[in-house]
Amino acid sequence: MFRLAAIRLLAAVPVLMVVSLVSFGLTLLVPGDMAAEMAGPSATAADLARIRGELGLDRPPLVRMASWYSGLLHGDLGRSVLLNQGVTEAILERLPVTLSLTCLALGLACLAGIPAGLVAAAKARRWPDQAAMGAALVGLSLPDFWLGLVLIWVLGVKLNLMPTGGYVALSADAVGWLRSITLPAGALALTQLGPIARMTRSAALEVADSDFIRTARAKGLTEPRVYARHVLSGALVPILTVVGIGFGLSLGGALVIEQVFSLPGVGRLVIGAVLRRDWPVIQGGLLLTALVFVMVNLIVDLLYLWVDPRLRSNA
Amino acid sequence: MIAVLTRRSFLTGLLLFGLIVVAAMLAGWIAPFDPVKNNYRYRLGAPNDIFLVGTDRFGRDVLSRMLYGARVSLRIGLAVAVLSGVAGALAGLAAGWWSRADPWLMRVMDGLMAFPGLLLAIALAATLGPSEITVVVALTVAYTPRTARVMRGAVLVARAQDYVEAARAVGARTGRLLRHHVLPACAAPLVVQQTYVFAIAILAEAVLSFVGVGPPPPQPTLGSIIADGRDAMVEAPWITLAPGVAIAMLVLGLNLLGDGLRDALDPRMRRML
Repeated sequence: MFRLAAIRLLAAVPVLMVVSLVSFGLTLLVPGDMAAEMAGPSATAADLARIRGELGLDRPPLVRMASWYSGLLHGDLGRSVLLNQGVTEAILERLPVTLSLTCLALGLACLAGIPAGLVAAAKARRWPDQAAMGAALVGLSLPDFWLGLVLIWVLGVKLNLMPTGGYVALSADAVGWLRSITLPAGALALTQLGPIARMTRSAALEVADSDFIRTARAKGLTEPRVYARHVLSGALVPILTVVGIGFGLSLGGALVIEQVFSLPGVGRLVIGAVLRRDWPVIQGGLLLTALVFVMVNLIVDLLYLWVDPRLRSNA
Repeated sequence: MIAVLTRRSFLTGLLLFGLIVVAAMLAGWIAPFDPVKNNYRYRLGAPNDIFLVGTDRFGRDVLSRMLYGARVSLRIGLAVAVLSGVAGALAGLAAGWWSRADPWLMRVMDGLMAFPGLLLAIALAATLGPSEITVVVALTVAYTPRTARVMRGAVLVARAQDYVEAARAVGARTGRLLRHHVLPACAAPLVVQQTYVFAIAILAEAVLSFVGVGPPPPQPTLGSIIADGRDAMVEAPWITLAPGVAIAMLVLGLNLLGDGLRDALDPRMRRML
């Protein structure tokens, strides 16, 4: 078990190397003068020189890369030119919003998607199956940011049930937090539950033929119990895989949906930085979101061992 | 195979996708108005029998903008599906066939896949500057790794088949083995995967246009019409609602086509239906 965890951890190293290379290399692709683009048309020569100094543009790319990496190893991703704040600090400050949105959305998607997939498998080819799979397919075909706008329009503007945007910190007011995050998480969950429901269904169908399921039926368990307990636990590995992938997708979706609901998360920060060409923030945002995703994948890998004891003996 | 392709869900997909493709191709003839011409007299007009889907804040006809916008969205989606298909197929083939290249290529792909695809595409599109080609390049980079993974898996399965071993035993060279025995076996999963990439690329293009790194205005795309309508959501919800429905139809259609193709091309899946 520990050996496998160590192997997984080592496998993440080359991935992180590629991630950091891409995050840094992005700035080398900028056509034209980065400093001039950031400073805007009204900048004076002194402004340009200052920005060049801050970004290290007056030094050759290899030197810039070396200093970026040495900063990285100390947890320092540079300073945001526009916020005049450390990038690491700016991102870590906003990460809880993005992560809570991502996790809540993914949790809702699992709560709805896994039972829907099990019901679809239990009633395969009959109407509950077709209804659940049809709904799952429509859900995953909807643009999530658009769904967010529609929910704001219907529930916020027309029915006046929900706030139309803005964020209340969990520590300040738990009910307000839940109200502010329900709509964005719901919009995201509706588009994410499709893959989870579909994977649950096909994995459950695969397991439903097994001998141990026949045994469970033979000893007199009711159908719902057979599915909730035995089929589900047999199908958990592929479900876990798709939930892990879903985390990455939800994270990407959360970054965008923050724009729609004006939530002060990493997405607002990084996409704002993209539009205003604040390179250190863009690099840091790419790096840290990828880091989060790599860590979640590690956790998923270890969860496999917990979920499926057969994998433990091979390790 | 015929049975799967004439099933109701596949035909529904064909209908949804085909309807929008035909409408977009005929945009030049059937669009009632110029999609980029401002007409302030009719700004934010509700849908009526002249402007079927209403007008936006510059008085432009939303239906005409959607028809031309669907063209751009389809063009970008198709280009990304084809380009990431070619790049992913080559990378996957190399990784699956030459075991020496495999760890290197796949580490690079894993690294690219660690980023949220949308964020990587947004950052790349912004870096390279706003244009339709930039969007295509950014989305191709973001979605090639998944295709490469699918292709690598298919190559690994194909190369272990007895008929490939037999062909090698009678002296077929690598080129012939790949062309006649391995590639044909990988075509089906590749085509299915790229149908989904087509759908994902259309959704992603809408996001890029929405956050402001898509093709520059006044060129409409389905995503940029939604972004335009956002500020007028309360007075003129049709500007936002209609293009979203069009995107959903397009993507749903492609997903249904992908599912149908998958079932038709992979007999093992038929049992699951």
